[in-house]
Amino acid sequence: MTWSDYLPAWPLQISPALWLALTLVVAVLLGEALVRHLRLPRIVGYIGIGALLGPGGLGLIPQLPVNEWRLVVDLALGILLFELGSKVNLRWLKANPWLAGTSLLEAITTFGAVFSVLVWFDVTSTAAAVVATIAIATSPAIIVRTVTESRAQGQVTDRLLLMTALNTIYAVIFHKLTVAVMHGQAGTSFVHTIFPPLYLLGGSALLAWLFGVTFERIHHHLGQHEETFSFILFGMIAFATIMASTLRLSPILVLLAAGLITRYQRKHTRTFPPHFGSAGAVLVVLMFIANGLAADLRGLQDGFLLVLLLIVVRIIAKLSAVLPLATHSGIGWRQAISLGIALVPMSSVALLLTLDTAIDFPEFAFGLGMVLMSWIVILELAGPILVQVALRRAGETPEKKA
Amino acid sequence: MSLMPFAPSRPLSIGVELELQLLSCNDYNLASSAPEILRRVAKRTHPGEIKPEMTRSMIEINTSVQQDYAGLVAELRALRDVVSDAGRFLNVAVAGGGTHPFQHWSEQKISDAPRFHYLSELYGYLAKQFTIFGQHVHLGCPGPDEALHLMHMLSRYIPHFIALSASSPFVQGHDTGFASARLNSVFSFPLSGRAPFVLRWNDFEKFFAKMAGTGVVESMKDFYWDIRPKPEFGTIEVRVCDTPLTVEIAAAIACYIQAMSRYIMVEQRMAPEEDDYLVYTFNRFQACRFGLEGVFIDPRTHQQRSIREDIMEMLEHISDHARELHAVEAMERIREILIVGNGTSWQRRAYASEHNLADVMQLQAELWMGN
Repeated sequence: MTWSDYLPAWPLQISPALWLALTLVVAVLLGEALVRHLRLPRIVGYIGIGALLGPGGLGLIPQLPVNEWRLVVDLALGILLFELGSKVNLRWLKANPWLAGTSLLEAITTFGAVFSVLVWFDVTSTAAAVVATIAIATSPAIIVRTVTESRAQGQVTDRLLLMTALNTIYAVIFHKLTVAVMHGQAGTSFVHTIFPPLYLLGGSALLAWLFGVTFERIHHHLGQHEETFSFILFGMIAFATIMASTLRLSPILVLLAAGLITRYQRKHTRTFPPHFGSAGAVLVVLMFIANGLAADLRGLQDGFLLVLLLIVVRIIAKLSAVLPLATHSGIGWRQAISLGIALVPMSSVALLLTLDTAIDFPEFAFGLGMVLMSWIVILELAGPILVQVALRRAGETPEKKA
Repeated sequence: MSLMPFAPSRPLSIGVELELQLLSCNDYNLASSAPEILRRVAKRTHPGEIKPEMTRSMIEINTSVQQDYAGLVAELRALRDVVSDAGRFLNVAVAGGGTHPFQHWSEQKISDAPRFHYLSELYGYLAKQFTIFGQHVHLGCPGPDEALHLMHMLSRYIPHFIALSASSPFVQGHDTGFASARLNSVFSFPLSGRAPFVLRWNDFEKFFAKMAGTGVVESMKDFYWDIRPKPEFGTIEVRVCDTPLTVEIAAAIACYIQAMSRYIMVEQRMAPEEDDYLVYTFNRFQACRFGLEGVFIDPRTHQQRSIREDIMEMLEHISDHARELHAVEAMERIREILIVGNGTSWQRRAYASEHNLADVMQLQAELWMGN
């Protein structure tokens, strides 16, 4: 027998999973310390630590293999999107049509404002349109996580969830359509310009519908065993997410629509644990760390003014769409301002849409893509704080215990 | 501070106040949506009044002065519809029932008005614990002495009203075993219980002046009695009922009290005695704990029977009076409760089939809103 039979070979062969585990421990520890000290929402800590220690910051955590991370991000986002969808009551739109009006107006003004600024900065109109569609979406991840963490409840919270779900759907659909236009301009044949968005939207809708039907069946038999059911649900979400990627559909659309469909069909109330259990919660935390690690602020070097202007214009657009219809839709001015501010965060959905565009159009990745990335990082860090303050201002978080 | 003079009112006229629960349509927990609901209903014309209550997940509807069941139930339905429509517009469900089955009192938010902030300061957590939902019935009285007479005579029948309206078995996620657990929250207030045995209005004024002199009370509002006189309306107010699960039951119980009052004033004409109160808290406890199955001890004959049997007999006594008051349909509804059970038995049946209190609350809201 020799040493090498029972001692590990040197240098150690470290698997990426070990880095993942270590990152989780370190990021959560540091994030928690930061959050307690500065009294910020926890996700700010996770994203912040990821950004600080990651390749874009001090470089202490090496860049992890993209595939592992992408799976984590997709799964966690799938969980959060399904969660968002299942908290949104689409029947409300029928009882209060002003909400649908507010939502459409908000999407249109956001698109219009961002598009105008970019065109003014000499961006081509197609590229400007792609970025403007991405800017429509409020971050479902940040909204769901912050609402869960702050235990907010009330009109602003309900509307925030509804409008986030809707503007995410608009963003994905119109993003796919404008990308198709971009392909058309790049010389792709008519059939191959028209077919991709149709396949993607139709296929995603079909997969979401199948999910909804299966969900209802299983819930019928197992709904009373809440814990068992949440295990199955977790599996179903993972399956649907991976299936959507495999079929080259939109996981974002599939999971969000699946959540909305199950909520629309439901006859009984359902209470799931946040993120469908602790496994889901861990994935969500990892996703925010991953977003932090991916943070890329290089776009600020050349485009600082543009990013700043885009941030400001987008906030004004969201606010000015929510305010005029506020009283008609049944909330007061204070609440409307809170709602407008809370719609500001951008995160994973915008990030994924940007990355998708960058894969198809490499020149986008180095131009506007960089601007968009910096924009997302800033609103990812500021977003949770804005949402928390807005919901507290609206009086929708639990009162402090004296 | 002295007591207001007893205002004139039409004898046996009735008015009903109902405290309602506002619920989130997502999880059917209480939702602090009263400010938005109130703002919304202010734009609509409706009879009666819609007002805020102690915490922001409660709302109160008040009818105007009514004479009979038909008028009362029509107005209550109109009020229910206005509030329900506002609820649908705001994604808020509205329900009856005396307690919310799984709310946490500490999460409730005190309504923004000086009186509610004052009460919250004074009573501390009791104010938030007071997120319970009751029905109050006002009865017009010909004069102040008659009001006191009626108040003491009706006290004997308090268990009837509790058992018929009981709809609060669940508190903080559990079945308490009580038919009306709501009243347990009322009893923790220092000035709850019953009015002193005083039969003349000027004696009552002296009692009030003495109490006010000690600084314990400022107005009649500070007494949380089961029945109390309301001099500014010229009424007595029965306050022991849980908010029933439908407006029709609420109206029927109000008319049961009305018909009984007519029986007491026109036919029975017995003088109240202080010893009537010997069995008062025992009977009331039996009604809260066991509902219609509770034991009822007659204070004069000491005979024991179930509350259900006592109500059955009372329905016989008052049937002519009910006919005079156009309340025959209301008495039918009371009889129906004796057969199919009160709100509490409905809630327990719903829980037995749904296994989930949120689902019970969803069904309860559907029952109330009528959709």
